[in-house]
Amino acid sequence: MTAPVLPRDLVVSWPTAPDGAPATVMAALARNARETADAVAFREREHGIWRERSWAATLDEVLALAAALETLGLGPGQALTVIGDNRTRLYLAMIAATALRAFPSPVFPDVPPDELTYYSRYGAPRIAVAEDQEQVDKLIDLRARTGRPVTIVYDDPRGLSGYPADVVVSYDSLIARGRARLAAEPGLAVDIVGRSGADDIAVLLHSSGTTGAPKGVPLRHRTVFAGVKNARAGGFLGEREELYAYLPSAWVGDFVFTVGAALLLRFTVNIPERQETVLRDLREVAPTWYLAAPRAWDNMLTRVQVGIEDSTPGKRALFAFFMPRAIEIERRRLAGRAPSLRERLLLAAGETFVFGPVKDFLGLSRIRNAYTGGEAVGEDTFLFFRALGVNLKQIYGQTESSALTAAQTDRDVKLHTVGRPLPGVEVRIDDNSEIVIKSGSVIDEYFDDAEATAKALADGWLHTGDAGYFEPDGQLVVLGRVSEVVNTAGGERYIPNYIENRIKFSAYVRNVAVVGDRRPELTAIVCIDEEAVGHWAEDRGISFTSYADLSQKTEVYDLVASVLRHVNTMLPPPLRLRRFVNLHKDFDPDDGEITRTRKLRRNVIEERYAPLIEALYAGVRTIDQDARITYESGETGSIRRTLSIRDVE
Amino acid sequence: MLYRRAGIRHTSYPKERQLWPLPFDRYLVTAVALFLLAAPFLVDRLYLVAYLLPWIIWSMAALGLNLLMGGAGQIHLAYGAVMAIGAYTSVHLVRAGVPFEFALVAAGLMSAAIGMIFGVAALRVKALYLAMSTLAMQYIVDFVISHSPAISGGTQATIQVPPVSFLGIALEGDLPMYYFALAVCVVVTLFMLNVQRTAFGRALAAVREKDYAAEVIGVDTFKYKLLAFWTSSFIGGVVGAVLVVSYLRSVSPDQFHIELSVQIVAMVIVGGLGSVLGSFFGAALILFTPIVLNNLVGALASGLGIAMSADLRAHIPLMLYGAMIVGFLVLEPLGLAKIYDNVRNYFLVWPFRHARR
Repeated sequence: MTAPVLPRDLVVSWPTAPDGAPATVMAALARNARETADAVAFREREHGIWRERSWAATLDEVLALAAALETLGLGPGQALTVIGDNRTRLYLAMIAATALRAFPSPVFPDVPPDELTYYSRYGAPRIAVAEDQEQVDKLIDLRARTGRPVTIVYDDPRGLSGYPADVVVSYDSLIARGRARLAAEPGLAVDIVGRSGADDIAVLLHSSGTTGAPKGVPLRHRTVFAGVKNARAGGFLGEREELYAYLPSAWVGDFVFTVGAALLLRFTVNIPERQETVLRDLREVAPTWYLAAPRAWDNMLTRVQVGIEDSTPGKRALFAFFMPRAIEIERRRLAGRAPSLRERLLLAAGETFVFGPVKDFLGLSRIRNAYTGGEAVGEDTFLFFRALGVNLKQIYGQTESSALTAAQTDRDVKLHTVGRPLPGVEVRIDDNSEIVIKSGSVIDEYFDDAEATAKALADGWLHTGDAGYFEPDGQLVVLGRVSEVVNTAGGERYIPNYIENRIKFSAYVRNVAVVGDRRPELTAIVCIDEEAVGHWAEDRGISFTSYADLSQKTEVYDLVASVLRHVNTMLPPPLRLRRFVNLHKDFDPDDGEITRTRKLRRNVIEERYAPLIEALYAGVRTIDQDARITYESGETGSIRRTLSIRDVE
Repeated sequence: MLYRRAGIRHTSYPKERQLWPLPFDRYLVTAVALFLLAAPFLVDRLYLVAYLLPWIIWSMAALGLNLLMGGAGQIHLAYGAVMAIGAYTSVHLVRAGVPFEFALVAAGLMSAAIGMIFGVAALRVKALYLAMSTLAMQYIVDFVISHSPAISGGTQATIQVPPVSFLGIALEGDLPMYYFALAVCVVVTLFMLNVQRTAFGRALAAVREKDYAAEVIGVDTFKYKLLAFWTSSFIGGVVGAVLVVSYLRSVSPDQFHIELSVQIVAMVIVGGLGSVLGSFFGAALILFTPIVLNNLVGALASGLGIAMSADLRAHIPLMLYGAMIVGFLVLEPLGLAKIYDNVRNYFLVWPFRHARR
């Protein structure tokens, strides 16, 4: 008896680029399934158990999925809406879509129903792949309003049995249908692998939309792979890394690393059980390559500090002995002074007693390269992790450049730079100090938006909208958005974001808006960090009932004032913060105050909190303020509260 | 500090339920196993025969009793009698020419059969009442053995164990005896480690926590109480046979009196109810502390030149011994195993105080 011939056995060749590497995402999958069939491609935690898929099994599943999606009507040039948390099956659906020369259009899973319209404007998505009932409900709502998507494929069947069968289709039934079709049409597998080309769109992303509705950003196979190859050439990614896929798949980095780099460089992609278990699962994964936003690193630092404060005296003393010394050594190392023999011995002892166990606890013990990007990182956080022995570096990129523009190498790590441009990336500073980029990893045009294309991609250079400059040693410094440069009434130029980030380096402040456009002086609206301040309050026996109550405590005002005073010491006198108010709710993407990538929407805040801002300059001590709250169901409510206004000094 | 847990992920449920998922625990178990294997070549003969061998045998006995007391929650004050049944059964069978391999199993079966008869009492009575009925077993078995010349060979008689071999290896000299006892101990230990992960072990735990609640959720308490007595007595019988063959070399009724039963109960309680590791700790503490204290008091008395009457000299170690047992139980009522567990946890969550999410 001979083993049955599987579709994957028929696939022996795939489209290649001139350098011999696979040309498309599907081609890379075909190569991996051929050359490293049994290596683990995806590992996903399910009820505590890590379910593994080999490259060969992955190819089989993707082929079946593609064959079935085609019968549903997915064809070239069409978008496939993908919505849900990180799930292996959603990634496979994305790959299957590219194989059919369609393109996936991943959407943030927490997008409310009405905003979905924005994210399904381009590419006429007839089909959507959703993770679970929550997302299916949103899509059905969208379908009732716009007539699309026609068919909704779901992964998790829980709660979906009563839904109309002509609209919702289970992933499992799709796979079965695809396998049957592949068995009936022997040439189909080879055909599917060969269909897409390097110039096809691999994914349609959306720019974060700090201003207005999101723009469609189409990344082609060659764009994504160019970015990956640039990073590989610079040594920022290795072959066969252990990757942790936990960032939203609608964010450019997730597609570039979890799909693009993982397929091209044969990573093992590890997917957590749920968003709530991301930090705990990280320990089980212990990735070799890890990227996280500065906020996430801050949270990890807070977690460690809170744990140490709770710890037994002996352990606390060890931590208090080694940690500050290691941070001091690291600070001097970054300034260019190599540690002495005595210091190296100290670090080795610290590794045994403190650093090793802390890294083990966080799941960072196997990291070769760790990155942070998107915003400035706080000095405390940056030095802490570097002192622990985590090779934390900074990276800079944007959706339009496949997330990979510049990054620090092991030799030139600095706090305030983002490193040198990657190999294959040209970066220049424009006359108005704007950063412009030219590279194979930059998109050709925005999707169906000639106006935006003409504005941002004129003469083959990508105008990032970021203001920055080069250090004498060639490292790039990013200041903030060019459009965010603001003048005070006195004519002082500043970027609010730059100051805000420095305030947010304090663990006690979660969000802050600095106000001062055409005003005589700067003031701030502060949102405290509930966990850190809550713990701080508990330690001091300050009782509180809610976020709003906590935020208005006199002691908390004192705490925030001290944070602002510290930041003021680093600012020139005209730009020092004079007054502030603690807001009784945190900024939230559902309320529109920040974007889903946690960037401030300044116009929304200035409009919604106009009375509060006026009060900050009117010399009053208290103000009654409403705040709008959007619940997850989409309903809105509001909370009213009397807020105190306090001088910083 | 010692334990590293990052990167440990289970790809199937059986792998998740392995005995020692943490590398450090595996190293520790391997190190102890290697030491025990190499012990005859590392330690003096005196220590091997007078310390390690009895420790292994008494630990086995504690393990067997722990299944009943810690596992199923049934008190048993006649474990010495159970061992006596196994010891006499095996010796008589060997003398009758039955190969020792069969005699060993028969010893277990005989103890199990008789032990189960007394175990029936457990179906009717609990706690103190069960203690009384098992105490009765101790005296009945003692009486029957010493008053049946067919069993004991006469009231004051001692029966020598003839030379035996096990699986073709002659059990003569210290080395084969030691390895034989160690091998049986490994089997019993592995059984005890695994029984807690089986349906049988979980049923026993249910019976232990509340027998009528176990009945309500569908556990046949009648069956599992009897099975617990059966299994525990079987181990007791086997240990009795190992004891006389590889350590005592002769058998007489006074070796299995109430003192032995109480000693093993003490090992289980001091070590930690229901803990495999605790049985080893308990056996070590109960066996060796008197010796160590005796030597210590002797050395102190002569070293410091304190004049001490012979009576006092003999009683001080016993008083200290008692104080130590009480002290350990006051410090940690759940026994030595729990103390070890506390120390292990201290390092497991290092540098934090407790496991953090």
